[in-house]
Amino acid sequence: MTAFIILSLTYILVKLLPFERPIGGDTQQISYFDKQYNLGYVYRFDHEVPEYGEYLYKTPSNNGRANYYYQVPIIKQYANWLKNIVTKWDWGYSKTFQPNVSASVIIGSRIGYSIRLNILSVIFSVPIGILLGIWAALKKNTMTDHTISTLVMIFISIPSFVLISFVLRIFCYNLGWLPSTWPTDSATTAMKIQGYIIPVFCLSFGSICGYCRFVRAELCEVMESDYLLLARTKGLTRSQAIMRHAMKNAMVPIFPSILAEFIGILGGAMILEQLYGIPGIGKLFILALNYKDYDLLFVDMAIFTTLGLLAGILLDLSYGFIDPRIRMGAKK
Amino acid sequence: MKKKALALLLASAMVVSMAACGGKDNNDDSKSTPEPSTTAGPSTTEAPGNTDPTSAPPDVSATWDGAYIEADDYKAYISHDLELIVSEMQDQLTADQKKAVESAKTAGITAINNAGTVAEVGKAYEDAFNAILACVPLADGVKTFAGEKNDERTNMLGILETYAVRNGITGISLYENGSYNMYNPRITLGTENYIVGYGFGTLAEGAITADLDYESNAAWKRYYHTLSASDPGTLNYLDANGSEVADFYSYISASYFTQFMNSTKDGYDWVPELAMEKPVALNDDDGDGAASKWRFQVRTGAEGLKYSTGSKMADRAAFNNREVALEDYETPFKVLLTQQNQLFRGSELANNTTGAIVGAKAFYDATANGYNDELWKNVGIKTYVEDGKSYFEFEFTQTMSAFYAMYYINSSLYMPVPQDFIDLVTVQNYLGFNKDATQTPVDNSLSLGAYYLETYNQEQEVVYKKNPNYVFADTKYSIEGVHIKIFPAAKQDATASFQEFLAGHTDAAVIPQAMLDEYRNDPRTRTTTGNSVFKLNINGLDAETWEYLFGENGVVTETAKSDYWEVEPALGNKYFVQGLQHSIDRVTYANARGTIPTVDYLSSNYMSDPENGISYYTTDAHKKAVSSLLEETDGYGYSLELARDYFRIALTELEAQGAYKPGTEANPTVINLEVAWQGASQEESAHNELKSLFEAAFNDASVSGGKYKLNLEFWVGNTYLETYDKMQYGQFDIGFGSISGNTLNPLDYVSVLSSDQTISGGFTLNWGTDTNDPDAYPIVYRGERYSYDAFVTAANSQAIVKQGANKPVVEVGYTPITKNEDGTYTGSFQVTATLPELTKVTPESVVCCNYERYRNGDKEYAEKEVEFKTEDKGNGVTLITFTVPADLAADYATGSGTVTAPTGITGFDFYYTTTFNGDDQSASHSVEDKF
Repeated sequence: MTAFIILSLTYILVKLLPFERPIGGDTQQISYFDKQYNLGYVYRFDHEVPEYGEYLYKTPSNNGRANYYYQVPIIKQYANWLKNIVTKWDWGYSKTFQPNVSASVIIGSRIGYSIRLNILSVIFSVPIGILLGIWAALKKNTMTDHTISTLVMIFISIPSFVLISFVLRIFCYNLGWLPSTWPTDSATTAMKIQGYIIPVFCLSFGSICGYCRFVRAELCEVMESDYLLLARTKGLTRSQAIMRHAMKNAMVPIFPSILAEFIGILGGAMILEQLYGIPGIGKLFILALNYKDYDLLFVDMAIFTTLGLLAGILLDLSYGFIDPRIRMGAKK
Repeated sequence: MKKKALALLLASAMVVSMAACGGKDNNDDSKSTPEPSTTAGPSTTEAPGNTDPTSAPPDVSATWDGAYIEADDYKAYISHDLELIVSEMQDQLTADQKKAVESAKTAGITAINNAGTVAEVGKAYEDAFNAILACVPLADGVKTFAGEKNDERTNMLGILETYAVRNGITGISLYENGSYNMYNPRITLGTENYIVGYGFGTLAEGAITADLDYESNAAWKRYYHTLSASDPGTLNYLDANGSEVADFYSYISASYFTQFMNSTKDGYDWVPELAMEKPVALNDDDGDGAASKWRFQVRTGAEGLKYSTGSKMADRAAFNNREVALEDYETPFKVLLTQQNQLFRGSELANNTTGAIVGAKAFYDATANGYNDELWKNVGIKTYVEDGKSYFEFEFTQTMSAFYAMYYINSSLYMPVPQDFIDLVTVQNYLGFNKDATQTPVDNSLSLGAYYLETYNQEQEVVYKKNPNYVFADTKYSIEGVHIKIFPAAKQDATASFQEFLAGHTDAAVIPQAMLDEYRNDPRTRTTTGNSVFKLNINGLDAETWEYLFGENGVVTETAKSDYWEVEPALGNKYFVQGLQHSIDRVTYANARGTIPTVDYLSSNYMSDPENGISYYTTDAHKKAVSSLLEETDGYGYSLELARDYFRIALTELEAQGAYKPGTEANPTVINLEVAWQGASQEESAHNELKSLFEAAFNDASVSGGKYKLNLEFWVGNTYLETYDKMQYGQFDIGFGSISGNTLNPLDYVSVLSSDQTISGGFTLNWGTDTNDPDAYPIVYRGERYSYDAFVTAANSQAIVKQGANKPVVEVGYTPITKNEDGTYTGSFQVTATLPELTKVTPESVVCCNYERYRNGDKEYAEKEVEFKTEDKGNGVTLITFTVPADLAADYATGSGTVTAPTGITGFDFYYTTTFNGDDQSASHSVEDKF
């Protein structure tokens, strides 16, 4: 239901944008509106139709009757779109970005790039972030802690798409070590592997800082708790107390956050994909918006919405697995 | 210098009666028309910026006290204006007209010199202007100069450009979009000197002498590497409405004729490519070289012309090396013009007015359900074999010269393609992807061009390989291939493409503004000219004319009262605009952007002689047209002294007209101008500089002593279209932008300067002059006077001219219905032919429309023909009187009968055929009325 509401709202709001028309004389206008008619966005009549409001364009009346073009009511466009999805699982086709190609095919061919990139980013950022957080917590209020915390504060403030500009300048253009854009499918395997370094690094940077800060805070809190003091008084060494008790409890809120972070990275990857030329669904979303390729935009939106909602469900479920005290809807 | 020269001129002026012209009464009101004039004339608008109602303005209409310019200087400028008008028309006047005009001018200058007040000077100028106009008769009749040779077309363009410059409808030009380009040293350019309209001949005549190290694919190391900010998604130019697809398609396409660098490497030649000869006229009956029906011999398989494809799919690969058949030349026209195929360029081809093909529109309209072989016979495209040679024949709806016949038929859209290939890949997938993207443009295209598609990785790269079957494969295009990397970062970061070049990833790049100083003098750098001039468009309308054009009942668009634009009277004063013109230091402004400073409306890429590659920019006609902008300036229109003088004149006149009242130094009257920019980056990079230039010139104490202050503000559009919309609908003071047309036909392109949107194609961006008013400013050609609209139409096709103005074949008037005693209603249409002797009107039908039922009732639409009688009233007037039967009127008046208080709204469609000069054209006229 949530996905349906989000998609419906997106469809209607996007379609409410003012109807765009080209600059140019009648020839250009007629060609353009004929095209819009063929795409099903406008009606064409040989007389005025007041019930559709003011017409968008009227052809010059040089061969008898003029044609009048009206925008098809948005609700009708929406109903057609929904009907095709429900009855034929037809999400439409691209009109301008990759004309004539099924929108779901376009998404399907790109989603792999985004998923791979984001999984790699999570794999890269989680251990580093957690280890840095543990290290800072263990060295609390020392120079190490202050240094890590300061760097975390600085780097967490820099969005990935800003970071990539600096990284590109240094490692690609100045040093020439890494490819400056996403390697094409025809590139060598080595080049393709190198192509992951910059985007994964840039995407991970914020996550590493986030995890680090989170882990440090949780661990510090746990380490000051009574039960940990009790563990020490029972004779456990500091390391034993941390590993057996503190870490276990500190991780309870951290693991679900990894899922949330995954969705966050997907969103953040939009601009980064565009800047680095990665043919993923994030970049596609921006392009579909720019090209006003609505069917494509809505499928992309559906993917993001579904992923977000799925992550939410998994997040809720994960609490139960990680912390046995949490049982959603459990009977006593 | 100029002032002294003009003073001498004034001193030598002689008193000659204006009656010498035998013409126009200076107070003659007979030329008034029902429409408000759009000339930039006096305005009575209250100064929006006047904040000091208590200060009494000096009465400059009574005395020179308080004027901002010395009387002699003012008179000198005004007189110089008359001098310019006369000198501009000299070449087109008869001997008698020259004498009369000279007399009128001399008399006018004397009158100006003798005038005592600002108002008197204005009156003397206006009288002299009208007297000069009266010396040249207004043109009448059917006029066409479309078949003229290039030299004469250049002269006509010069006349039109002069008019445009002098009336300010070109706006204020800033710079031409030429650039500083850098090339990889491994590239040998075709020529080191940029050829206007052609380039450096990089691919066609250039070469690559070393591998590109960065390229990992060994086969592509010698390919030309370049970037594109976006992927076109298809190569189907037949269905694309932008230039991006055309650019990608151009590598694989061929056309009937092409251009190659000439042997001296300083120009280019037109060369038959798919054709084997230049077009030959088939119906040049009067031997003037102009004709509507043409043919030329074309290459087929017999001459070794073969298709190429890079597809590995067996059914596509079967077309590789297949010979081109003669009927393949007709296929693209059939595909385009079959309406069922829903191709954008097909609709455009069918609806073309210039270069229209006989029968194309009718075929298009009749093929909504598919191709019709019987109807195709009526289309002016034919192929046949004669004496063993293959010919392509085509017929336009109008006559044109050999060059323009070649120009209008020469499109890569018309590259031959076998019908069975179209059937195989389908029209929908031709040159693009199929629905599940298992076929790419590589599989769905055939090439006759210099390259064929080798690889198409969506959103990554598009790669072309040299086509061994290309007509000139042995002598041209020696570079082995072209690799275009899709590089979206170029959209976000102006320096990204250049960084790619510096890193050795590509072969060429434009130097961004921020890095110009560093690389401008690099040995790898070359400069190019541009195809477009960026300019400030001006809204010089007065409030009354603005309302006529854009108000609640505007003829261009209708605007609610609350959205009325508050026009700035200063922009309606031509001297104020000239002041702005001369305030801009274009050299500094353009240099900072790596562009070319210019005052010209047309970029240097526009051709005076497109056949031989001669730029209009180099012609005397052009130099004369812009001379008034360049006199006593730095060569690019910049002179603070002139600017301030013009501002002084403007303020003097504007105050005399009551448009503004002066403020005080502490509380000056502010003239606020809003500049509309197309995007935030434009505004950030240009607004402040422009603001400081204008304000520095105007706000100098020497101009108004601090009584006035100019203030520039900005508005930024979300998209460039938003800014163009503002300009098209008069919602602006100054708007930044550029439009460009086909550089091979500038005479046609300057139609965009018309104030009539049907002539300008909706591109009117500068407002202030009614270009169909022959008295607004003289356009004289061969001893006759025209309006801009009439002359530009005649120069490009055919104009029906009456009293110098451009007119339609007929004008239709309507007399509302009246109820008769028997319950019937009678109304009439009156058709007035502009040229009765050449026009025949045949009424076809009058249809009564049931709008009441349609709009207010059950929404059902109904209509019925009613009887009419025709009466020839003489002098080209035909009266069509129709009668609505009582029962029909009663029925339609109440609509569907479901509305309690019907309004009785109805409508009448009048259908008729006009026969003008032997050509029939159907037309209709619709009106609304009430029973």
